[in-house]
Amino acid sequence: MRLVCGDQAIEIDVQDAGGEARVTVAGQTFEMRVETVGPGTFVCSQGDRHQSFHCVRDGDTVHLFWGGRVYRLEEETERSRGSHRHVGGGLEAPMPGKVIAVKVAPGDTVGKGDELVVVEAMKMENAVRAPRAGRVKSVSARVGDMVSPGVVLVELE
Amino acid sequence: MRKVLIANRGEIAVRVARTCRVMGIATAAVYSEADAGALHTRVADEAVPIGPAEAARSYLSIDAILAAARRTGADAIHPGYGFLSQSGDFADAVARAGLTFIGPPGDVHRTMGDKKGARRLMAAAGVPVVPGYDGDDQSDAALAQEAARIGWPVMIKPSRGGGGKGLRVVRGDKDFLSALAGSRREARAAFGDDVVVLERLLERPRHLEVQVLADQAGHVVHLLERECSIQRRHQKVVEETPSPALSDEQRLRLCAAGVAAARAAAYVNAGTVEFLLDPSGTFYFLEMNTRLQVEHPVTECVTGLDLVRLQIEVAAGLPLAIAPDTIIARGHALECRLSAEDPWNADLPSAGRILHFSPPEGPGIRFDGGIAAGSEVGIHYDPLLAKLVTWGATRAESIERMADALRRTVVLGVATNLERLQAVVDHPAFRRGELHTGFLEEHLGALQRVACPPAEGLAAAAVALSRASRTPQGARTASDPWESLGPWRLG
Repeated sequence: MRLVCGDQAIEIDVQDAGGEARVTVAGQTFEMRVETVGPGTFVCSQGDRHQSFHCVRDGDTVHLFWGGRVYRLEEETERSRGSHRHVGGGLEAPMPGKVIAVKVAPGDTVGKGDELVVVEAMKMENAVRAPRAGRVKSVSARVGDMVSPGVVLVELE
Repeated sequence: MRKVLIANRGEIAVRVARTCRVMGIATAAVYSEADAGALHTRVADEAVPIGPAEAARSYLSIDAILAAARRTGADAIHPGYGFLSQSGDFADAVARAGLTFIGPPGDVHRTMGDKKGARRLMAAAGVPVVPGYDGDDQSDAALAQEAARIGWPVMIKPSRGGGGKGLRVVRGDKDFLSALAGSRREARAAFGDDVVVLERLLERPRHLEVQVLADQAGHVVHLLERECSIQRRHQKVVEETPSPALSDEQRLRLCAAGVAAARAAAYVNAGTVEFLLDPSGTFYFLEMNTRLQVEHPVTECVTGLDLVRLQIEVAAGLPLAIAPDTIIARGHALECRLSAEDPWNADLPSAGRILHFSPPEGPGIRFDGGIAAGSEVGIHYDPLLAKLVTWGATRAESIERMADALRRTVVLGVATNLERLQAVVDHPAFRRGELHTGFLEEHLGALQRVACPPAEGLAAAAVALSRASRTPQGARTASDPWESLGPWRLG
């Protein structure tokens, strides 16, 4: 299995006979027993040392709570390989919300820091600003649109 | 009082229902289409729909709330905080419908909800106010001129409203008019009114507030102060009582000012008088919140009182059984607001389904939550998910308990501000009590993200995942813990 965290894809090999599992993570091998103690709740034992942790999967995304911290990992499958990082010059919605103002049109020249689109969620306004000076190539956001994070609102040339 | 309709959602609706249950009062919850099945609807004795997700047509709709009260036969309404809690029109409409409003009467909301009028009233009562402008001339030119007179930086505040909405800090006349336009637009959207007041921005102030309580016969008491200096975008994040900033003498003066403010407002029920304390130790009236405060549990922890019970008793016409200056506070209490805000995405609201949830337990821990595993966190409402409160014999002890409890608070599926909260309570300046409202920007502007768990954590996760994926789809049984996770699909 390959888990992606941040910029790294980490190869993990699991040999699990149901009791003691032998797991190799990027060349480092662990002998551990993992018991399921509740929904999404596990205890990992290595010798006399026990640590409880939480792990749930949502599609290809894996949510892990380990040692007081939450990690969001992506499981790399045949389907997702190479597709989990999108490229492009578009400016995306920063959060789920509603577009309440579109301040530019295709062809406009903008300066670094100019407000392009204003998205509102929970009554807080958040401006999408130009990361650099340039010319607006396209505007896909319209006032009233409900948008999700990652949706491209404006493209700069 | 036989049945209370709780005109709110989330953790505060759950918290109000708990006290009602203890008092033997039935409860009715209300919910929008986005909240069908939300925790607060299950904790109350019954729950009725009040409209679509959009708050203006559900939780902010006086007609919808009153219809729900009629339908459920409730004889009282608790507004919680936010939504209609500080609406004078709502308080009046509830009274006109022959129901008891658990909060102050409409006139009090209107007086204190208008920052302009409140500033004038407080100044007349001898309560110090921040240097500023609270005049009637709201033209761009007049406001720009007043802002320059007050001296930069200046804060623009919508005269109605709160929660940081529409607030703008302006550092020079160049940005003033565009900031004014933004403030007015946000204020109109949130409060339906765009009158503003101007106040000088104090340098490195602390936010202190006095909890007050007044009965219908005019007895006013204070329940000491809270410090809420840890803020992000003018929203409180961490609160505590007692404040580490005050000497006993300052505390007496501050609390006396809180009582004077409540008297001047002819206040009834529970309320909070907010002040700013500048580094020289001078305090100024900021505003009065005519409702139960989000952070009321810290006061409950040190006083042993139940503020919702006291609210209900006062609303029922009972006299306050608390004599002035007999409040004894024990120890120190700290609250952290757990919010669906992504620290790795500029703290913007996050949304999604909570896939796993487990609150911390242990001595001195109180968890007021509005979520459960399976809860949908949407974009329609405030991102507050829960409040984690710890109590200790000393400030150091409640902080240690909080630091540990935060590391045992598990929310998976929706990004939360947990790591930011951990960073606050671990910070040496926080531990020393050196707080001001710019603390987060000064000390914790950008968090260092740890994207990868330690190798053994990855190993353990891989074992857990391999077990789940090995179970064939058709072979799952109810005893399979992965199945009992709820309605979402496993990959």
